[in-house]
Amino acid sequence: MKPSVLSDMSVPVTPAPGRFTWMTDRIDFVDGLRIAVFAALAIGAVLTPGFLSVPSLLSLLTTLSFVGCVAVGMTMITLSGNIMSFSLGATAAAAAVAFVHVLNAWGLAAGIAAALVTGALISAAQGLIIGSLRANPIIVSIASLALIYGVLNLLTGNATLDVETGSVLSPAWRRPFGIPIEALAFLLCLFIGQCLLSFTVFGRRVFLIGSGMRSADVLGLRVWRSVTAVYAWAGVFAAMAGILLATRYNQANMEYGIGYDYDAIAAVLVGGVAIKGGIGSMWRTLAGVCLMATVQVVLLLHGFRQEWQYLIAGLIVLLVVVLQARRRS
Amino acid sequence: MNSLLSARDLTISFGPVHALRGVGLDLRAGEIQALCGENGAGKSTLIKVLMGIYQPDKGVVEVDGVAQRIASPQHAQEMGFALVAQELSLAPQLSVLDNIWLGDRSVPMFHRRKALREKARRALETLQVQIDLDAKVNDLTMGQRQLVEIARMIARDARVLILDEPTATLSDVEIEHLFQVLRKLRAQGHAILYVTHRLGEVFEICDTVTVMRNGAHISTGPVSEVSREQLVETMLGRSFSDMYPERLPGPGSTGLSVSGLCIDGSFENVSFDAPRGKILCLAGQIGSGAGHVIRAIGGLAPLTSGRMLLDGRPLTGSARGSTIAFISEDRAKEGLFDRSVLENLVAGQWQDHARLGMISWTSARRRAAELAASVGIDGRRLATNAFNFSGGNQQKILFARAAGGKTPGVILMNEPTRGVDIGARSEIYRLMRDLCTRGYCLVMMSTDLEEVVGIADIVVPMYRGAVVAHYEGEEIDISRILLDITHPRTAGEVPRETVGP
Repeated sequence: MKPSVLSDMSVPVTPAPGRFTWMTDRIDFVDGLRIAVFAALAIGAVLTPGFLSVPSLLSLLTTLSFVGCVAVGMTMITLSGNIMSFSLGATAAAAAVAFVHVLNAWGLAAGIAAALVTGALISAAQGLIIGSLRANPIIVSIASLALIYGVLNLLTGNATLDVETGSVLSPAWRRPFGIPIEALAFLLCLFIGQCLLSFTVFGRRVFLIGSGMRSADVLGLRVWRSVTAVYAWAGVFAAMAGILLATRYNQANMEYGIGYDYDAIAAVLVGGVAIKGGIGSMWRTLAGVCLMATVQVVLLLHGFRQEWQYLIAGLIVLLVVVLQARRRS
Repeated sequence: MNSLLSARDLTISFGPVHALRGVGLDLRAGEIQALCGENGAGKSTLIKVLMGIYQPDKGVVEVDGVAQRIASPQHAQEMGFALVAQELSLAPQLSVLDNIWLGDRSVPMFHRRKALREKARRALETLQVQIDLDAKVNDLTMGQRQLVEIARMIARDARVLILDEPTATLSDVEIEHLFQVLRKLRAQGHAILYVTHRLGEVFEICDTVTVMRNGAHISTGPVSEVSREQLVETMLGRSFSDMYPERLPGPGSTGLSVSGLCIDGSFENVSFDAPRGKILCLAGQIGSGAGHVIRAIGGLAPLTSGRMLLDGRPLTGSARGSTIAFISEDRAKEGLFDRSVLENLVAGQWQDHARLGMISWTSARRRAAELAASVGIDGRRLATNAFNFSGGNQQKILFARAAGGKTPGVILMNEPTRGVDIGARSEIYRLMRDLCTRGYCLVMMSTDLEEVVGIADIVVPMYRGAVVAHYEGEEIDISRILLDITHPRTAGEVPRETVGP
């Protein structure tokens, strides 16, 4: 009788030792280059007068946190193979408006809940369209952007909505343990995001779909469900940015969050999340967010004006995209 | 006589896969040379090197005795090489004339319509075919389109024609017409490399035959000096019977039963019973609809009508996901994920390795190791990206995943050995038999008739979207099946290939 190769499943197999997959990242040449850039920038930053002071660093940390929350959501979308979204900034604005409205009526907890739900719903609706109809994600997000601003304008008349009690948080809550609340919230988002990706079934499916959407279809994974969930989470993280903005300024305006999409995309790509999907992590996004923010601050401290900051940021993103495209071919 | 085209020692690898290992080829003017070999033998890679699509790692191509580096398809065209690919590259909405000149870099920005028209007319005349230059390609038959494609090469002064499976989609009359044209071109001193699976055509039209196997050149000789059996065994590298494992005795138990399956415009009224423990094979050419039937059963294309039963119970959407697995012919796009072997193996089962949505890597790793061992994949390579494996090993990963469910179900396969090298092929066949032993129901589609006859217990030939016959056991015969899938309505005629291996 021939030995059967397939039938004997009972033999215990010792799992091989070695690197394992929860470390979804590999370090290669382009990463090496990236680390060199980070090092050069860190040295440049340290040598910049005025950079290495506690107030300066804290304010840097605060500013990068708004974009950072949006970037966490963007990372989910990019990893799932849906490239990027241009409506997360608008989602943040919508969430901020919902936050202040509900806060004025029912209090802080209700406000936070309302904002997160608003963000999740707005974004999940897009995810549903993209996942079930396989519509182009970028086009859907651009259409949604217009739609969100249109509805917001109808509802608020582009008026600024004030928090009636004057201030959302007491001064003690603005800086628990001396750290800005914005930074804490951003780190919480990062942590939740990475846990979702690394330790949940949902996270594994995000990576699978991002690295082979057709294969996922053929395997019978319900891709539309995962894509909708990805967008819902992205909406939640964008809403977090909206809440932070409203909390900081004690008001909400539909123009909050404009330009955050671009900054978040830049951070995600510079950090090294693959634009084709399936490769990356929240830590890479964190690195990208820090790099882009540091570049801006250093340029500012050296007296370069806004247009120079845009120009340099654009060049960096372009360079990253060129490098990624080269690596693929 | 001197060679028009002469290749020496061509070598090329893709990652760990050695696609060509020191292949040589001589092609003379006025010669039709057959290029034969199993799937994965390296034929298409060789063609792509000659056409400048791939650059060889080593080796030279001499044209008229002068060594050339074929840098690009344009360069190949300038040297007079022309490829008629299996899938034609015509623009269906344009006229024949436009198609003949489409993409030719010698055509100036402002067309000198008259001269171009005259040259195109002369090309068609050389072939002695009557096709209206102003007809839309969409309105032509497949055979006429093939001839337009050849005329396009002649109009560009091609001297070396490479035809890749040119008869795969043609009717009998069209094949005869094509052969007349090829004989004419041979008489005019063109060199023709004729790639085919159909051994009958080798003996009918070719002068010499070159056999490749596993990326290497095996033999070249005059067609008159080999027999059909010798040719088959040279291609396989072993006797025919060693390739395929023995069939299992017994009738098999009730498995998948489909009746009246129909997708408008693709196939209609397809019915068959595929018992558990058996391999049912739909045989058909490209365009027969057989591949679509498999996809439809797998739920990848919506059925217009039809019924499916598994073990006597209707197959519903939710049951499908857990009992039916589909292995596509396009592994890279529709099978593997660009991730580790581990993640590929447990991709569809994460919920079984999780509690409250939180996954356990230990459990997943143990399961992946079991699955890898079951198909003979090295357990130390679980963390390696699946795309770094050879075609055969990639296919084994997909088999392990398909057979990884809790209870044996149905495994659907389109062209299960496409791109699998010859050594791994018999292993894949053995895996298929083992799945039968475990009670799986296997339904596959193949265009490779040697494979169909070698592995299937039940053969269902299809032609233009319809089932035309049904064979079991002793009835399975290559020449009958070939007749069925090429021109079933003239069943009284003498079949084109009369000798079976």
